[in-house]
Amino acid sequence: MTEASVIGLLEATVSFGALLYLAALGEMIAEKAGILNLGVEGMMAMGAVTGFVVALHTGNPWVALAGAVAAGAAVALLHGLFTVVMGADQVVSGLSLTILGIGLAAYLGKGSVGRPAGAELSSVDWGPLSDIPWFGPVLFQQSPFVYLAVVAGVVAWFVLGRTRLGLALRAAGESASTADAAGHSVAGLRLGAVAMGGALAGAAGAYLTLSLTPQWAEGIVAGRGWIAVALVIFGAWRPGRVALGSLLFGMTLALKTRLQTFGVDFSPILLSMLPYLLTVGVLVAISIRARNRPSPAPAALGIAYRREER
Amino acid sequence: MNETDSTSCSPTNSTAHRPPAVELSGIWKRFPGVVANAGAHLTVLTGTVHAVLGENGAGKSTLMNVLAGVYRPDEGEVRIDGTARHFRSPADALAAGVGMVHQEFRLVPSFTVAENVVLGAVDRIVRRQSIESAVGDLAERFGLATDPVRPVWQLSMGERQRVEILKALWRDARILILDEPTAVLTPGEADELGGVLRRMADDGRTVVFISHKLHEVTGFCDEATVLRGGETVAASLPVDGTDASTLAGLMVGSAPMANERPPPCVVGEPMLEVEALSCLGDRGLPALHEVDLTVYSGEIVGIAGVAGNGQRELAQAIAGLRPTTGGSVRLGRTDLTTSTPRQRFTAGLGYIPEDRIGVGLAPRLSVTDNAILRTYTSHRKGPFLDAGAATNHCQHLVDRFGVRTGPLDEPIAGLSGGNLQRLLVGRELSDHPQVVVAAQPTRGLDVQGVKAIQDLLVAERGAGVAVLLISEDLDELLMLADRLLVMHDGRVVAEFDPESARRHTIGEAMVGHASTGVVT
Amino acid sequence: MSRPVLARRDQVLRGGQPLAFGVGLLVALVVGVVLLMGSGHDPMRVYERMFDASLGSSRAWSVTLNRAVPLGLAGLAVAVAGSMGLWNIGAEGQIMAGAIGATWVARIGEGWPGPVLVPAMLAAAVVGGGLLALGPAVARARIGVNEIITTLMLNEVALRLVQWLIHGRWKDPDSHGFPLAPMLPEQGRLPNLFERAHVGVVLAGVVIALFGLAASRTAWGYELRVAGSSGATARYAGISLQRKILTVLVVSGGVAGLAGGVELTGASDRITEGLSNGFGFAGIIVAALALMRPSGVAAVALLFGAVQIGGQSIQTMGVSSSVSTILQALILFGAIAAGVFSRYRVEMVSGDAAEAAA
Repeated sequence: MTEASVIGLLEATVSFGALLYLAALGEMIAEKAGILNLGVEGMMAMGAVTGFVVALHTGNPWVALAGAVAAGAAVALLHGLFTVVMGADQVVSGLSLTILGIGLAAYLGKGSVGRPAGAELSSVDWGPLSDIPWFGPVLFQQSPFVYLAVVAGVVAWFVLGRTRLGLALRAAGESASTADAAGHSVAGLRLGAVAMGGALAGAAGAYLTLSLTPQWAEGIVAGRGWIAVALVIFGAWRPGRVALGSLLFGMTLALKTRLQTFGVDFSPILLSMLPYLLTVGVLVAISIRARNRPSPAPAALGIAYRREER
Repeated sequence: MNETDSTSCSPTNSTAHRPPAVELSGIWKRFPGVVANAGAHLTVLTGTVHAVLGENGAGKSTLMNVLAGVYRPDEGEVRIDGTARHFRSPADALAAGVGMVHQEFRLVPSFTVAENVVLGAVDRIVRRQSIESAVGDLAERFGLATDPVRPVWQLSMGERQRVEILKALWRDARILILDEPTAVLTPGEADELGGVLRRMADDGRTVVFISHKLHEVTGFCDEATVLRGGETVAASLPVDGTDASTLAGLMVGSAPMANERPPPCVVGEPMLEVEALSCLGDRGLPALHEVDLTVYSGEIVGIAGVAGNGQRELAQAIAGLRPTTGGSVRLGRTDLTTSTPRQRFTAGLGYIPEDRIGVGLAPRLSVTDNAILRTYTSHRKGPFLDAGAATNHCQHLVDRFGVRTGPLDEPIAGLSGGNLQRLLVGRELSDHPQVVVAAQPTRGLDVQGVKAIQDLLVAERGAGVAVLLISEDLDELLMLADRLLVMHDGRVVAEFDPESARRHTIGEAMVGHASTGVVT
Repeated sequence: MSRPVLARRDQVLRGGQPLAFGVGLLVALVVGVVLLMGSGHDPMRVYERMFDASLGSSRAWSVTLNRAVPLGLAGLAVAVAGSMGLWNIGAEGQIMAGAIGATWVARIGEGWPGPVLVPAMLAAAVVGGGLLALGPAVARARIGVNEIITTLMLNEVALRLVQWLIHGRWKDPDSHGFPLAPMLPEQGRLPNLFERAHVGVVLAGVVIALFGLAASRTAWGYELRVAGSSGATARYAGISLQRKILTVLVVSGGVAGLAGGVELTGASDRITEGLSNGFGFAGIIVAALALMRPSGVAAVALLFGAVQIGGQSIQTMGVSSSVSTILQALILFGAIAAGVFSRYRVEMVSGDAAEAAA
């Protein structure tokens, strides 16, 4: 096991972790407001294809990123329209969004399969910081998306925990009628949170096609949207813990192609089951603990709110 | 514009030239099938604690919801501090200084006390320490002992109520309405609350206090308004100069109770025997402490008590829906202590749960499906349900108990409350039970529905059934029960003869001062 | 200022669900026209081709029916759990688990005759799917763990289990290093019915009908309805919720497993990681459109089968097969919207708290 391969592993861990974190953070924000969105996979696909296609046409990676964010938010709002405005079942609507997003992405990206990227967001050079041994390559030669994820995480932590908006948003997810009685617009908060979640999922998708891969192919999201859903639970709906979980799950993704390098005789496929199994384990632990104290899950998660039916 | 916050003024001397804090006049409010307010009026002076009294269904809550902007009156005028107001939402009312503490709390359990208090009324950036200390200061100022840092799910009902009051104070409500605040409180907590309300009045605020319990009114209220049948029957009586029996008379009207009592039946063998029954409540704390009671064939035994003193758990434990931690339940000669709910029903125990929809009836199922809930195992042909037999059974129930319903295979959602209860009660009575446990069987029903259900219970008694009637409506108990037991803190603390007992004495037993009752 | 709100209709519109379904279909077709014109195709020709390829001939019907089988069984699996208010989002994985079970039997029963081997494989498929659902079932029944997430997570686990098997133990030595399982033996295939349709069509029809009968006519189905309507009512009626949750989720997994077994023995040569092909997720949509009723599941599955087969057929015209995926999602969204409007109407209210009519 060489130093370079360990550094390579850590670098990939951070990079995959950031990818997962962007999507998971978005899902967490939506769930905090009480909306379960199982459409992450579809929203990421939409972000990925939009980012790639816009980059092809404009050659500007930042415009491409903006397009991806907008596309993610737009399809998320479809989920918002159905679950928040119409009160439809969140599970059914979210899964349909996944199917729609994947289908729409395939349709829009048909002409772009196999083409080289029109623009890329390449690694940021932090000057002398990037030259620090170990820390440089792992932390300071990463794609801009990694820093975007860090900023998004800090902002989310601050807004959710330290602002009136965050308090209102969490109240909408814990007890919608209470938030309503306190004068907040539950529908507005929930729609905003769902759109924000879609925006971040779109950014995560763009990370794939503008930086990580950078190419477009059908199925490029490859189940990472489901990991994001898992991460929210694994991280008990807390930005910090979700970040740690993202790094952990990111490491399993990074290890997948590297196990043999490290001389570990373990199937990389079995390793890739780990995030899902860990999440099930965490969920069981949460449920056992919930006998004595409330679950960390937002209490009104998945429940439509209509004031008229109070 | 008016400086009510000047702490030097005492509550009564400065009101002479000021308009009353609250003036409601000619308030009408109709709901489908019910007239909740029929020209009710209410005047509350600034800086006083004002009681709004009335029996269940007298229209107290509706009137207060009009004042708090939850309902808009069909007719009538709302004046706050002399200015006419047309509230379109609770937020409007709050902006005018009117805050209401509802019976169901609107709190986020996972939030801290401070977060709950400031929700919706806080700066853009929430500084935890500063809101915690501000809420702490506010709580201290009014003697509302709470720890702002604790999450609400850890709090008792009394503490939660204090948080609700704090919410209104935080938004600077000058007029505070409390809807039956003592229903969820222990007597000690209720006394404390009285002190808090007094302090608020002394601070220049105005408190409107809804209750149907007389002793609270005499404790700390300045004036009382009595509602009956949606109308104001006595307005702003000074509490000091009025004795409790006058108020009680106003609340219940002039019809003497004794005439309405159905004649007693021949009492037979002991049918339901509960011995030293104990169980835990929803929060895992003991809710029932070694309760003994016996109901004989042909009698109705009433259980009175302030809500939350173990009545609910007692009914559930007898019906087999709540595990017991000790004691026994016998029906005739059969020991039911370890039996399942179904075995108990088969043994002759009918149970009318207080939650009609969601426990007694399945909301999305058809009338027929609900009618056979208890007996479906006997409508079987092999693995199949005999649809014809089920429909017949249902039709029989509907006819016999006068349930007004649409097609029997339609969901019960379309039935009115009274018809739902007829269906439920009919089902429980149709299989010839020997014992019927009825928990709040007439709550929320209209007058006709109440009468129908009460008649059914009396008829059962006539047929030799032992009836255990749990009710929060003391009048109902006094009218129907042959013996009246009072529960307090999970125990049966007193027994009364409803014909001779004085309401006042029963009331004292209900709050735990059982010294004068005929203690079992 | 006034704003629109949804107000509950006094009376649910009659025939709401078939109507909603029709509206969904219409919405999907209209949006499809836009998509097709956007990519330079003649929508009418494309739709005509889709119809011909899926429902235009007995051969087309046979292919569509084959496709409706896994969709219908997966839909039934979701509906069985859904009739009790539980969400089995794990049909996708249970299909895989069923295929693993069936393949395992095919490997140990190499020389068995078809009439023995195929039923044994299908039985193993049921067991496989049921086993994958067992964990979430126990967790939900005993400690109340949300089954939506556990079943969802196990999808990915089952998929990787298949990958692991075909990359390792079950890799065909003659596959030139490709991660492929060996072909199933000829006697491990479902017999043909007509044209391309296999016997699985009848099997699925019978299973769906049996569940339909069980749900509407038996005491078991009645208990399920009660438990699905209100857990507290079920306990009051003497129904053990724990046991119901456990059995329903395991049965649901078993039905999804059967879908995997039938798909493997009827439509596939061998177990692959693409076997479940989104049937599990489509099954959720099928069940939702069918309002969790087995009778509706068959009809919706047939329509979705036709849309999928039609979608495949237009690839030869240069149209992306993703169009059919999009159409499926749009049918559902359209139907949800129509379903909402059959129960609610839009009302303009002035911006205030609507009164709670007590």
